[in-house]
Amino acid sequence: MSKTDNNGAGSRENKKSLKQQIFVYRGFYIMFLPVLIYVLLIYYWPMLGVRYSFYSYKLRDIHWVGLDNFTKLFGEKEFWLAFKNTLEISIVKLLLNTFVAVIISIFLNEMVSMFCKKFVQTIIYLPHFMSYAVVAAIFTLFLSTSSTGFVNETLKSWGWISSSIDFLHSKTMWRPIFYLINLWKETGWGTVIFFATLSGINPELYEAASIDGATRLQKIRYVTFPALSNTIIIVLILNLAKVLNIFEPVFVLYNSRVLEVSDVVSTYVYRKTFLTAVPDYGYTTAVGLFKSLVGCVLMLASNVASKKVRGRGIL
Amino acid sequence: MKKKLVSLMLVAAMAVTALAGCGGGSTSGGSTSGESTSGGSASGESTSGGETAANGEYVLSTLNIIVDGTLTATVDAGQAEFVAQWEKAVSERIGHDIKLNITQLDHSDYAGTVSRTLTTGQPGDAGYPDALIMSASMLRQYQNTGLLWNLADAYDNAEFQSRITLPNINLNLRTSDGKQFGFAPTYGNGCVTYIKKGWLDKIGKTVDDIKTFDDYYEVLKAFTTEDPDGNGSAGTYGVIAAGFAKYDEAPYINYMPEFWQGAYPNFYKNKDGVWVDGFAEDATIGALTRLNQGYKDGVIDPDTEEAGTKQAREKFFSNDQTTSEGVFTYWAGTWLRTLTDNLEKNEVKNAAGEPETLVQLPPIQEIKDTWGGYLNREAPTWVITDDGDGNDAREQAIFDALFETMLDGDVVQTLWTYGAEGVHWSTEAEEFTTNPGADNEKKYSYADGEFHLKQSPNDPNTLWKKNHLDSVLVIAPLTNGFVSDDPLITEGNQFFTENCVDAPAAASCDTLTEYEADIASKKEELVNKATVGEITPEEAVQAYIDQFGDISAQICEELNAQEG
Repeated sequence: MSKTDNNGAGSRENKKSLKQQIFVYRGFYIMFLPVLIYVLLIYYWPMLGVRYSFYSYKLRDIHWVGLDNFTKLFGEKEFWLAFKNTLEISIVKLLLNTFVAVIISIFLNEMVSMFCKKFVQTIIYLPHFMSYAVVAAIFTLFLSTSSTGFVNETLKSWGWISSSIDFLHSKTMWRPIFYLINLWKETGWGTVIFFATLSGINPELYEAASIDGATRLQKIRYVTFPALSNTIIIVLILNLAKVLNIFEPVFVLYNSRVLEVSDVVSTYVYRKTFLTAVPDYGYTTAVGLFKSLVGCVLMLASNVASKKVRGRGIL
Repeated sequence: MKKKLVSLMLVAAMAVTALAGCGGGSTSGGSTSGESTSGGSASGESTSGGETAANGEYVLSTLNIIVDGTLTATVDAGQAEFVAQWEKAVSERIGHDIKLNITQLDHSDYAGTVSRTLTTGQPGDAGYPDALIMSASMLRQYQNTGLLWNLADAYDNAEFQSRITLPNINLNLRTSDGKQFGFAPTYGNGCVTYIKKGWLDKIGKTVDDIKTFDDYYEVLKAFTTEDPDGNGSAGTYGVIAAGFAKYDEAPYINYMPEFWQGAYPNFYKNKDGVWVDGFAEDATIGALTRLNQGYKDGVIDPDTEEAGTKQAREKFFSNDQTTSEGVFTYWAGTWLRTLTDNLEKNEVKNAAGEPETLVQLPPIQEIKDTWGGYLNREAPTWVITDDGDGNDAREQAIFDALFETMLDGDVVQTLWTYGAEGVHWSTEAEEFTTNPGADNEKKYSYADGEFHLKQSPNDPNTLWKKNHLDSVLVIAPLTNGFVSDDPLITEGNQFFTENCVDAPAAASCDTLTEYEADIASKKEELVNKATVGEITPEEAVQAYIDQFGDISAQICEELNAQEG
């Protein structure tokens, strides 16, 4: 069938009313029905719970308070600190992880020995499959100031330090350590998408560059990197929409002494909900709703950015 | 046409599967997380059940309870047999069949999970408890919410009244208007300080040498610097605990009593009968100064800051003593046996190569001069949920089936005290060996008719110790003569009884309930910072006053108004 025929058929179909179209394709609509029911029940039905952000909800005492929860929220210094930390930690983590993943992908791509390449890939992918709880336990033990702390005891035995460094309890060191742990855990996995892009680069481009006398570094600079740039931007944009969702890596590594630099919105909500004997679910729902609204704005901004970069949106 | 028919059939199958999944969710589990054992044969039977019989009497056919880790007959330690024997004994006792559903929650998040369960459920819902365990603090938070049943009359008229030896434990739970929402089958118990005897021997001291904080501190220092484990290198510490203090569980200071002494970092009623905020008092500054000194001198294991009770315990009796500690303050009585068993199990030896043992430290002078002894915490309680229908029949039926039988002095009380017959304990002749083939192998031999505890179902190398009730702490003793005569447990209980005083009553008022988590979180931050030296003790207390001074004053006002 020719392209013209297809278009012609399409325009004839479009002239039918919605009712007629549904009738014509009723088989597909019926097949879609269970999915629709599933989505409504599992994803949309729980969303009705956001109404509680306008209620005080303590044990069985539930009553309408209007915007009181939001007024309280906007007046909470602790919340704004958590909000600021969320943006800072997530964005730095995103940029660092992406940057390092790109570098490692390029190095892997340059490796000639297939065995070495596969071996390194396997090694760097492994940490991704460990849960954050296990990762936190390992690093807490490694970095402990007690005599069981491997890093401090080693540094002391080498005479590099005289007293233990409290890596995970220091306000200045917590974030760098956090980023390092995240790099260790997630960078390998992050290389997958970049490595896939690199594998798709036409080898003729490298051959042409070689004929033109390009060095290895110049090939990376003028062939590899431009080919990757679109993917890098897409990865950044797609992850930007999720920056407010950070919880687990912070939750397992933070502590009371570094709350100022580590508390994020999700851990704030967790403390208010799960560590309070009789929590006000209305208030914590309000925090969640606000977080969702900001996340929605970021998602729309990402969509606009994506349209500009890729010519199509993510929604 | 054929394709359409096939697609329709597929769609129908998918829809039925999806909806069946949704339907199944409404009868299973409820909102609680935890392990549960049900006497019923199907999950649908876990819904709370009962009905009014023709004679007007309420017939309780299913009893749902929520428990914490103090029910030691867990799912992997014979809970099913415990439930089966309970159902048999109680059914006979009350004259009709009754099923028991136990939901055992994670001990560390017990209060939070209970709160969510009580918030999201209703009596009659699957997973909603008919009765549950609450700490003294939890009881105070919930007793004015209308969720709990006033059991004062039922308690007064209970059959076990004639056998109660410690009446004040429950009378102290009554509100000023005579209501009682919790039932305490035992008194609270508390913590005592244990010291490794081998370590004391190595530094040339005995427990009798430790009379004051200075003596105690000198021992901690020696444990840190004088190679008490005899391995020839440093790495040991004086003391470890699960946190420098507990901020969300009374009596708050019981894991490091020698450092806290007379300080009490929470609201309490002082000697004049006035509610005050202990964290804002000078005594707290003194305690933080001692903690800071201990941290600086390296006598407190830095792991204390983040350690939970399990981590602290395991480090204390670890088979690697080169990074362990000599002092650990923990629960009295049965725990003396458990800690000793674990030292034995891990084959911990002292510097002379002999098995390590523990000695109990009597309260130091500073504790005696302030509190009078180690703190005996307020008794944990059982509560019954109120369905709010204005009729007490259901609640009374729960009381009769659960509490009356729990202290029947005989079969059911034995179940709650020692566990299931034939699984946790027996009176039949038998012989068994723990740790066979190892250095610490032990043989046990019992004659027919002799009451004895068996090997733990989940660890055959240790002897079962107890179930939920402690036979020594219970307010109405067993009458069937079943007594576990473990000399170490007896010694531990006797030591605590001789050296304890009642802990201050837990505070409860609306403002405290609202801000308790924030206050506890701030205190933890400040105590940790002051202990490690990031801020001074004075700055810590001042920072607390600056942030919570007004709220603290309001809480004290509310608490004192309640007294009036």
